[in-house]
Amino acid sequence: MVANREKTKVEVAKVSELPPGQSKIITVGRREVGVYNVGGQYRAVLNICPHELAPVCKGKVVGTRVPSKPNEYKWGRDGEILQCPWHGWEFDLKDGKSLHEPHKCHLKTYEIQVEQETVFLIV
Amino acid sequence: MTVSAPETESKPAIQKAIRCVDCDVHQSGPDRDAMLKHVPKAWKDRFQSGGHVGHLGLHNPVGVTRQDCKDRSGKHGACSPIGLNDCLMEPYGIDRVILTGGIYSQGGIHPDADWADILCRAYNDALLETWIPQDDRMHMAIAVTTRDAELGAAEVRRLGAHPKVAGAIISSACTAPLGQRQFHPLYAACSEMGLPLMMHPGAEGCGVSAAPTAAGFPTRYIEWHTGIIQVFQAHLTSMVCEGVFQKFPKLKVVLVEGGISWIVPLMWRLDKNWKALRSTVPWLDRKPSEVIRDHVYLTTQPIEEPDNHEHLVQLFNMFDAKKMLLFASDFPHWDGDTPQFALRGFDADFKHHVMAQNAIDLFGLE
Repeated sequence: MVANREKTKVEVAKVSELPPGQSKIITVGRREVGVYNVGGQYRAVLNICPHELAPVCKGKVVGTRVPSKPNEYKWGRDGEILQCPWHGWEFDLKDGKSLHEPHKCHLKTYEIQVEQETVFLIV
Repeated sequence: MTVSAPETESKPAIQKAIRCVDCDVHQSGPDRDAMLKHVPKAWKDRFQSGGHVGHLGLHNPVGVTRQDCKDRSGKHGACSPIGLNDCLMEPYGIDRVILTGGIYSQGGIHPDADWADILCRAYNDALLETWIPQDDRMHMAIAVTTRDAELGAAEVRRLGAHPKVAGAIISSACTAPLGQRQFHPLYAACSEMGLPLMMHPGAEGCGVSAAPTAAGFPTRYIEWHTGIIQVFQAHLTSMVCEGVFQKFPKLKVVLVEGGISWIVPLMWRLDKNWKALRSTVPWLDRKPSEVIRDHVYLTTQPIEEPDNHEHLVQLFNMFDAKKMLLFASDFPHWDGDTPQFALRGFDADFKHHVMAQNAIDLFGLE
């Protein structure tokens, strides 16, 4: 753990240990952060759902039915959506925003840095 | 009834001051073997082959049972008293629970009334034998059938005096509006035994139950789940208008998981209609809303969540919510609430009544 002004840099895993589709929950002090490899992009979100404070990172990473006309069903976003294990609220791992009210309901996100084959979480 | 208690090496300590009672906990037990023992010989083969009915096939992508709750040994949190402690009571400060299980659905929707009764009785005996002795903080609602109210009444009389039996639970999914006289023997028994009658949804539209919405069968789970309140509205209107509470003045009814906010406009509408149509229900000697206030309780889950939380506070001021609401988590189901979430924004006195005192008084908890 290296102090970086007020932020902290925490080692998450080696790049080889976190291939696409995989995730890991990291504890930093009293916080838990879920780190996800979404198709080669790393994403990090606080393990708290803004609804009832559920451990959202214990939910499944899923695809979903994307917006469509009535009686049309289009599957998309495979592996990009985090679904809360309690009430099923869906969050876009790309930016933490909910699919139902992205303008006001979202997960707290964190920066990820990759240096020399190691994934770091910046909190 | 005699039951042999299992080994109970280390029962959890029981909190004398009850801060929170959870009135709707769907434990996943007793297991089938524990129940089989209580199934009469002539029914055992049927039990072993399954024999439950009821699934509309509507899709809930979240899954009805939460998968994130594991106890200290990695088992699902609803599968043992220890699991309920680890995943529900300890983390959320719940001091007493009313176990509601799930077999009550069969009691309301199975075509065969005798079999519905057998399932309820085996469940009740097995839960009393295997779960209740393990944790003094757990009480149960005995499941009873409405398919033949005399059978349901007999079960209420058989077990209603047991100190751990807090209430009797029936399915809101059933064959007819619950105020009608074919159900009255059950209410007579509950009234006689001082046992609150709890009504729970879940099997609407399945088995021999009526359609799950007033307009018929909806296409999707979201419509079905939203429409459950219609069934509760119909049952409550029926019970009030049929004079159930005049006939059984000691009867208390708990509407579990049936929504809350609809109660206000329903009482307004019923009062208005009563003023004009009173002569069609001449036994209703006072406003229907007063009858409801004196006899009916509603559990909090799933709590309604308007964008402006103040609107919910206002709505709770429009009826005697402090007296009529009971906290319930619905653990471990997908639409559950924590007490911290359900009662946020309400004052301490209100919270105390809804989280503990109303349930203590209604169910006679200690």
